[in-house]
Amino acid sequence: MNSAGSFLGGAKDRLLPASIPFRFFLSASLFHVLAWTVLFFAADEVARFRGGPGLTLAAIHLATLGVLAMTAIGASYQLLPVVTRRPLARDWPARLSFWLILPGVALMTYGMAESALTSMKTGAVLLGFGLAVFAVLTADNLRRAGSFPVVSAHGWLALVSLVAFVALGVLLIWDLESGFLNNHLSLAVVHMVLASFGFMGFLVLGLSLVLIPMFVLSRSLPDKPGWAQLSLTAMALAGHSCGILLGNMPLVWIALAAGLGAAGCYLWLMRKSLNSSMRKRLGLPFILIRASWGFLFLCLLLGGAVAGGADIPNAPVLTGFILLVGWLLTFLLGVLQRIMPFLASMHAAGKSGLPPLLSELTAEGPLKVHAICHFAALAACVGGLLLNLTLLLQIGAILGLIGAIAFAVFAVNVVLKLKRPK
Amino acid sequence: MTGYTTKMSFSRRTAQLLHEDHQATIIVIESLDQLIAKARKKAPDTNDLVVQKTLKNAGGAIEEEVSKHFAFEEDELFTRLEDMGDVGIGEHLREEHRALLPLGETVATMARDARENGFTDESWTQFRNAAAELIERMFAHIQKEEMALLPALEDLLDAETDMELSTAYADKH
Repeated sequence: MNSAGSFLGGAKDRLLPASIPFRFFLSASLFHVLAWTVLFFAADEVARFRGGPGLTLAAIHLATLGVLAMTAIGASYQLLPVVTRRPLARDWPARLSFWLILPGVALMTYGMAESALTSMKTGAVLLGFGLAVFAVLTADNLRRAGSFPVVSAHGWLALVSLVAFVALGVLLIWDLESGFLNNHLSLAVVHMVLASFGFMGFLVLGLSLVLIPMFVLSRSLPDKPGWAQLSLTAMALAGHSCGILLGNMPLVWIALAAGLGAAGCYLWLMRKSLNSSMRKRLGLPFILIRASWGFLFLCLLLGGAVAGGADIPNAPVLTGFILLVGWLLTFLLGVLQRIMPFLASMHAAGKSGLPPLLSELTAEGPLKVHAICHFAALAACVGGLLLNLTLLLQIGAILGLIGAIAFAVFAVNVVLKLKRPK
Repeated sequence: MTGYTTKMSFSRRTAQLLHEDHQATIIVIESLDQLIAKARKKAPDTNDLVVQKTLKNAGGAIEEEVSKHFAFEEDELFTRLEDMGDVGIGEHLREEHRALLPLGETVATMARDARENGFTDESWTQFRNAAAELIERMFAHIQKEEMALLPALEDLLDAETDMELSTAYADKH
């Protein structure tokens, strides 16, 4: 093994072999393409979606588990040991989790698309085990964390949310067959909120405290607002879940206010980081990242409009779309296009055996195509939902698909350049 | 709380000194980046005071400060990391130093020459290419050290060693 390889691959090293995070990132790129493709075929039913099997449910889970969770898990495996200053206990469980999650997502979403319960259940079980391995490995690392208590606390709450949303997801799938739940729709809403704002939200909010200052080379980020965003997010999630399940609307409103407060703390921290940035030109990734912050606020405001019964066409679906695609997908794709070349540069060798330049590992053209198509797809799909126009949703899905293919070209290009020259 | 916080401050003085070096280097590199971005393909006027200052800082900081910083890391920190079994991190950062130092010396020499004789179209193109590579490599290198090396010093150095090293390093500046 070469020197850089031993650095990244040894049991004592805080950074993992490239193959571990990159397998998650590549899979996320593939599921990204599939999610937009399935959305295209689901376009005529998306606006009416209120849960239940079908192409829309499959598209949602391809995006959430296939793209968002895959990216978050790959990034967490790689970044948490660096943040906590503790290596993962073992590498192989990370690989095992991938080989459970990948077929799990594929089978479950196929089952959802085809209303095939056996596939859905089998996929859910595989996925559940894969996520359990991730949770145990991450919990072990967080338990030994030597630094960043506020980031570790976000990690712990992400894991709590993970356990809760997976348990609810399994219940919801089994309920499709036997119908033993009398509040299926309410549980589905709680499941979605715990998965997106809980699991993904805590990871995004927590890792942002480390990643954004590193990307922009900023000087200072105070801890207190980080703890405030954590507490408010936890309150919002607990309040929303109880409010929905008990049919207590005041609790839902309080939860929404807490959620807005958490988002306010987060954006205050991010703004502080950008204002003290020593790097002036932040490039394309930060156009996506900044835009995603706007979508975070927009989806919370839309959530309030839904709770208040505002007369906005297809408001629940619109809120979900802004949440998943506008905030989380935009943010993670922005981060991914920044960290993939960065991590690859630690594994690859450039010309003359020296470490390669980040610009040699990236592909600006495909990333520009992706960014343009991504925002155009968002606009078209939002328009399609507001105007109830299937054609506009289909155009949006095609634009999203072109963007996803362009992003996949970028991702494959990075991985191909990981191979060191002989 | 001990250790590295989100405040980008360090309980180890050695880490804090290296972090301050990084900040100083970023200022120099960022101004070089601004110079290139502003001038683009047209050679800048080296009689301009801002251009003069940028070129002067680039030459001085890269040749003297960065080489001292790299030598200190390689002699005092990477060796200690290796003793603890964390061999690879030093090796990887050494590789980057090997790429950065000659590049920095080239840029410093070109900057000195330009301050005395100005840029021709050809020398500006050469300077721009070398400086752009230096800027890109330096930013990535600093990000890696800020993320993975400086926090590790919290575990690597005890208080006594930290004081010895940081005093020795500060004396060299």
